[in-house]
Amino acid sequence: MASISSRAPTSKSLARFLHYCAVAFLIFLLLTPLIAFFFNAFSFRWFYPQLFPKEISLRAWESIVASNSKVPEALLNSTILAVGVTLSSVIIGLPAARALGLYSFRGKRVIEFLIISPTIVPGIAVAMGLNINFIRWGLSGNLLGVGLVHLVPVMPYVVLTLSGVFSNYNPEYEQQARSLGAGMLATFWHVTLPAIFPGIVVASLFAYLISWSQYILTFLIGAGQVITMPVLLFSTASGSNNALTAAMSLVFVAPSILILTLTARYLSGKSSAIGGFGQL
Amino acid sequence: MFRYRIMATFLLCLVLMPLAAVAADDMEGPPGFDNWEAVLEEARGQTLNWHMWGGSDAWNSFVDIVYGGELMENYGVTLNRVPLADTVDAVNQVLSEEEAGVAHDEGSVDLIWINGENFKTLKQAGLLYGPWTLNVPNSKYLDWETGGFLLDFGEPIDYSEQPWAAGAFQWIYDTARMDAEDLPRSYAELGEWIGANPGRFTYVAPGPGAFQGTRIVKQLMYELCGGPEPFAAFDQSVWDECSPKAWEVLNAWEANLWREGATYPATANELNELFANGEVDFSLTLTGTGAARGIASGQLPETAKAYLFDANMISGFSYLAIPINSANKAAALVMGNLLVRPDMQAAQLDTNSLGTGATPVVDFSTLSEEEAQAFADIAAAIVGAADPAEFAALVPNTASEYHTLTEQNWERCVLRDEC
Repeated sequence: MASISSRAPTSKSLARFLHYCAVAFLIFLLLTPLIAFFFNAFSFRWFYPQLFPKEISLRAWESIVASNSKVPEALLNSTILAVGVTLSSVIIGLPAARALGLYSFRGKRVIEFLIISPTIVPGIAVAMGLNINFIRWGLSGNLLGVGLVHLVPVMPYVVLTLSGVFSNYNPEYEQQARSLGAGMLATFWHVTLPAIFPGIVVASLFAYLISWSQYILTFLIGAGQVITMPVLLFSTASGSNNALTAAMSLVFVAPSILILTLTARYLSGKSSAIGGFGQL
Repeated sequence: MFRYRIMATFLLCLVLMPLAAVAADDMEGPPGFDNWEAVLEEARGQTLNWHMWGGSDAWNSFVDIVYGGELMENYGVTLNRVPLADTVDAVNQVLSEEEAGVAHDEGSVDLIWINGENFKTLKQAGLLYGPWTLNVPNSKYLDWETGGFLLDFGEPIDYSEQPWAAGAFQWIYDTARMDAEDLPRSYAELGEWIGANPGRFTYVAPGPGAFQGTRIVKQLMYELCGGPEPFAAFDQSVWDECSPKAWEVLNAWEANLWREGATYPATANELNELFANGEVDFSLTLTGTGAARGIASGQLPETAKAYLFDANMISGFSYLAIPINSANKAAALVMGNLLVRPDMQAAQLDTNSLGTGATPVVDFSTLSEEEAQAFADIAAAIVGAADPAEFAALVPNTASEYHTLTEQNWERCVLRDEC
């Protein structure tokens, strides 16, 4: 008996050790590039073979906050777009996801394929064709047009994530609520929404990240009138000012890291949201 | 005379041929405008969407602060600088708008920093506004007869493209690593140097967007095949005879290049970085002030310096063009005029202030004593520029067909060695 009871903790602590090793490794993978950015962003005249920059400088940061800097404008545009695209993609995606997750019907596979198709076709091909039409419809060069075109790559992820949630969801709870006298809205608010909330968080996260990092679509449809962080970052990176590029990259990833940290608990394996990808 | 030495060699002022100065009032207006006053009036309150390559922090700040400030203060024009990763993006936008049937006063691109292929694309598509460059008042400061900028990569600019900065091909070396007398001064000497210093040289791979590399190959052809004259107009037999010689030389270098020529830097910026990090001993620039701006911005070591071979170094210009569908042509014209105003040209040159080191295109013989002195003072304080006497090696660019052929064939004949 004694031997059995002592074995359990050992294997448990080994598992825990391995778990921490894996976590440490992942953190290492994620943080190393950021550390390089960090050093670069504060360096001046940092040439090989110096391991660390000899000259520390705030020049890059000064040009980011300078009066002529386009960073504040880009951050604002990126934020408006990401928030708007996230909200509208979830609102559009919910009914579609519910239908795909709960019901089987003729042609469901075709519809699923059509929904995934934007992830298969290269964005530039779609964008070139859309650009002409968007110009004709007056949607070129403004936030509305750029937001609409962001929905193209965003929707597949939102619909797929949410349909996964709905495939594990039992709609009979809604019928119970209705039979107890709850209205449509009250049922959605008190029954449906809490059940699918983790899925909505994950879908929103996808939507936000895809919109936030969109370059070519923003550039084409924005026609230079809508400057976002990726547009600014790409043009800066095409020059050779590594310090400025690094500083701008840090500004670019900071909001994403913040949001990931805040929503991390919904991303854990126990949440019903992730299971849905098993469907694919 | 000594103080004028740097500027005196910037090509344009070699042959002094003062133009009859045209007073602003009796000058004819640009297309669509009665006179210059009408342009100024219409420009007031407009927003100028200037699409330009955004990879240079120096350029971005200069344009925003100096030009943006001047436009706002004196002309009531708001500047919206649109940063591009590649100029071809702006050209594609104009082409797309035209295809979509956007009216010719409703386009989103007002002004493009442009040259070479991109200019040719817009010109051939008939999407350039103009001719206008002779109809802005400050055009009197340019030497349109002998300035050398009437051809852009061999393509006539037809007064629809405004030159505003002169460029010259220069090598960059590090005075801390090498003595001036040890520098190769021709491609033949460079070949010997490469053989003696394996792994210490590479060049930018010729190709679209990397015209510095194309220029290196074309300069080599000049040296191998009798200078720039045979290349002034296109002749297939010149190409057929000369290009194999060039490929032979370049392939002979290959074994002793950086990474044994298995790969080449794709852009001048990449080469610059290899040079700054000490991986190779030569970089290059087209900015007339050589290493000055790179030193000021910390991208080059303080001991970097530009120099030229003894002959066959290609010169060229930066231009501005206005698309035919620009919604704010008046504002674009005001900017075009501003760019060649002598004090702005001087500010551009001054790397010790906000300037980018772009060398002026104004003809110094049209300037007052004072204005000319301003250039001389700035030039005297610049560090890292090539020795002025070396600019005598400058020659004009080839006809654009050679440019295209070089880009098309280099990869096949040198990189893949299949010729």
